[in-house]
Amino acid sequence: MLAQVLVSSATAGAVYALIALGFVLIHKGTGVVHFGYGDQVTFGAYLALMAQVLIGLPFWASVVAALLLSVLIGAVIYGGFMWPLRNASLLSRIIASLALGTVMREFLRAYMGPNAWPFPFLLSQTSVPVGGILVVPANLAIVGISILVLGLLFLLFEKTVYGKAIMAACDNQVGASIVGIRVSSVFLMIWVIASVLATVAGILVAPVLTLSPDMGLIGIKGFTAAVLGGFNSLAGAVCGGVLLGVLEALGGTYVSTALKDMISYGILIAIILARPQGLLGVIAIKKV
Amino acid sequence: MVARLAIGTTGLALFLAAPHVLPEFRMFEICLIAATALVVLGQIVVTGFAGQISLAQAAFVGLGGYGPAILAATWGLPLWLGIPATAAVVGVGGFVLGQMTLRVSGHYLALATLAFTAIVQLALVHCDVLTGGAAGMAMPTFQIFGITLSKGSELYYLVLPITVLLFLVTGNVMRSRFGRGLAALRQSETAAEAMGLNVRRYKAAAFAASGFLGAIGGAMLALLSTYLDPAQFGITQSIYYLAIAVVGGMLSPVGIIVASAIFVFIPEWLQAFQSYLGLVFALLLLGFIVLRPDGLASLRPSALRLGLSRSGEGSR
Amino acid sequence: MSEPLLSVNDVTVRFGGIVALNGVSIDVASGAIQAVIGPNGAGKSTLLNVVTGLYAASGGAISFAGKRIDGAPSHLVSRSGIARTFQNTELFGEMSAIENVMVGSDRHHSYGLGSAAVHDGRYRRRETEARREAQDLLALVGLQDQQDTAASALPFGSQRRLEIARALATRPRLLLLDEPAAGLRAAEVEDLTRILLALRVERGLTILVIDHVMALVMAISDRISVLNFGRKIADGDPDSVRKSPAVIKAYLGEKAAHAFSA
Repeated sequence: MLAQVLVSSATAGAVYALIALGFVLIHKGTGVVHFGYGDQVTFGAYLALMAQVLIGLPFWASVVAALLLSVLIGAVIYGGFMWPLRNASLLSRIIASLALGTVMREFLRAYMGPNAWPFPFLLSQTSVPVGGILVVPANLAIVGISILVLGLLFLLFEKTVYGKAIMAACDNQVGASIVGIRVSSVFLMIWVIASVLATVAGILVAPVLTLSPDMGLIGIKGFTAAVLGGFNSLAGAVCGGVLLGVLEALGGTYVSTALKDMISYGILIAIILARPQGLLGVIAIKKV
Repeated sequence: MVARLAIGTTGLALFLAAPHVLPEFRMFEICLIAATALVVLGQIVVTGFAGQISLAQAAFVGLGGYGPAILAATWGLPLWLGIPATAAVVGVGGFVLGQMTLRVSGHYLALATLAFTAIVQLALVHCDVLTGGAAGMAMPTFQIFGITLSKGSELYYLVLPITVLLFLVTGNVMRSRFGRGLAALRQSETAAEAMGLNVRRYKAAAFAASGFLGAIGGAMLALLSTYLDPAQFGITQSIYYLAIAVVGGMLSPVGIIVASAIFVFIPEWLQAFQSYLGLVFALLLLGFIVLRPDGLASLRPSALRLGLSRSGEGSR
Repeated sequence: MSEPLLSVNDVTVRFGGIVALNGVSIDVASGAIQAVIGPNGAGKSTLLNVVTGLYAASGGAISFAGKRIDGAPSHLVSRSGIARTFQNTELFGEMSAIENVMVGSDRHHSYGLGSAAVHDGRYRRRETEARREAQDLLALVGLQDQQDTAASALPFGSQRRLEIARALATRPRLLLLDEPAAGLRAAEVEDLTRILLALRVERGLTILVIDHVMALVMAISDRISVLNFGRKIADGDPDSVRKSPAVIKAYLGEKAAHAFSA
């Protein structure tokens, strides 16, 4: 039974890990917590939907179209809003990220309607017994693709010079620019990567959650996962995502399914109050 | 002094004349603007004056409406008792919420208040025995001394004086040593603390005020709409109130009254395009925060800003 | 010998692996002007911050006027009679000079929320008193003509003086100054010296100064403590400190110490 719960939780955990990664990436890079990221996840999924429904592209072509468009969106968000606001107060930047998310959400509500749209699964939805545990191929696809994406990003940041330059610029802007790294290009790259990540997460999760403008609330789950992981490291974000998936599944099974969402929020508040640096993070001290 | 007397008399004259001159739906709109402005006043006390990011306002609004309704439905408590009682409790709740600021600030505080709103909304939906669940519940009509106030033009005599009173009191407090303390902790917490200010208590008090004002405003809004629908008290609405605060000016009580009026009139102007309402609000918020973060108040600094610094200067 | 006003006993402050203060003990007598000097990174600001409650001590005890204050939150330390200025001025930038000082003087002219809500007579009286006291303090440091200027718009030297006026507004018994002379011209340092000496005489203030500017330190101090790498290496009157080999070595190195003592 426990094993079943854990296996089922892998789907949610995988998606949370992707979203948490996006949050942490943006925060590491630009010091901004993108409160509208959840809405960007939704928007990414809708892009694929709109390509299918409005233009008539086949599924995989619309996925590609959505990914390409999200590159553009990431660039626009950074160039049009985050770069100009880089010296503004924290409050302004938080509100700006909230506003961006809200604009995306309301745009979708206005143009695509407030109701849910069906979204195709990547693989079959009928469960298949594997060694006593029921496995759903569609969920397996979600987990598999998530692992693939995470693996690609890991390769990028750990094994390529380009990726390491990005991480360097995140840790120390001045130092990075001294060695010739163009910080604004790095931040642009980060926003583009995060936007594409959002679209991937959206397309993966849309069939499960049913696609509606308010699907963005999953962003809070992603944020919780990032907070669990300490909000500092990419690895922490992934661990946080998996952990949140497990905690939610356990809570849902052994406590109550109706209150699953409350459990996430409760975990969030508990972590914030008890251990704001998360499970893996470090608190910084201001020098006076 | 003469100016104040002139403004006061003109205001009183307008107040008494309005119901005889304006049609019913305009009276309703005036009440709506006043109640909304009251909620946003709570927002700027905590986010503007105290500098603490709060996305909890919609939760306070919801509790401010549901509280009196439940007290009336379950124990027959009249609204004129239930409303202030609920607001007081919500204020205390805000104070407790504000204690969180000891541990967190900035992003985490925004997130915690966001989670608070989400949890309150979930609770309102799940405690369906008391609240009517997702379908919501009716707001009883307001009765006092045998008089019933239900239409816009009648609630006018309740909503407007209360709003004006609370605005005046808040303005006064902001122009006192308490306002100075808040301005100090907004600009340098370390120095404020070194001056003997109990920074945590000030922040918690600001949250308490935002809770109290939000609850009273919420009760007024519920009386006007006569119905309580939990979908109206979520994160989107918190962002709505925040948007009005940004557009009006985070430190400007006058600015937010103007902004509230704008936000109430927009649905009317957009008659044919109702489905674009949310988008328009969101674009306004985005536009202002990027281009004019000090809000409308920055257009007329001397008239509209509360001017805590005499030189009138202040960048954010 | 009466009890010292401030007593720092064997205090250690750790930040993760770094030991900023290592078993430091310093006593400040009532009515004295005492200086703490030392090379950069010696732990001087840390000392100030741990006394005022900004940092927590990992070991040792701090007493003020006979009562333990280590572990107390900053605002309570301030209320017990200790005021401070900051190394990087922490003024309330958007507020005017007089408003900055009033934040300090407010406490002694207080009124309740009720009075604030209706602006009654008590409010008006107390506000006037607080304002007057703030004006007097601004005059003391020579800023009476800039009272309505925004703090962030003041020139650097004036900002330093404003911090002192603001600290004095809380009516402290002990004043802690963190590098008050840094960045000041020679004439301004002289003004500062004059003001501090006058404060001791006119207000019976006890002063603990951290600074690098020797002109100030030598001119006003009764006693000097020297820190290096988080430890106290000398403590005494200005002359003996100036000649101490340990101090010379800390500042100028091994060879200089030998040269001086040979």
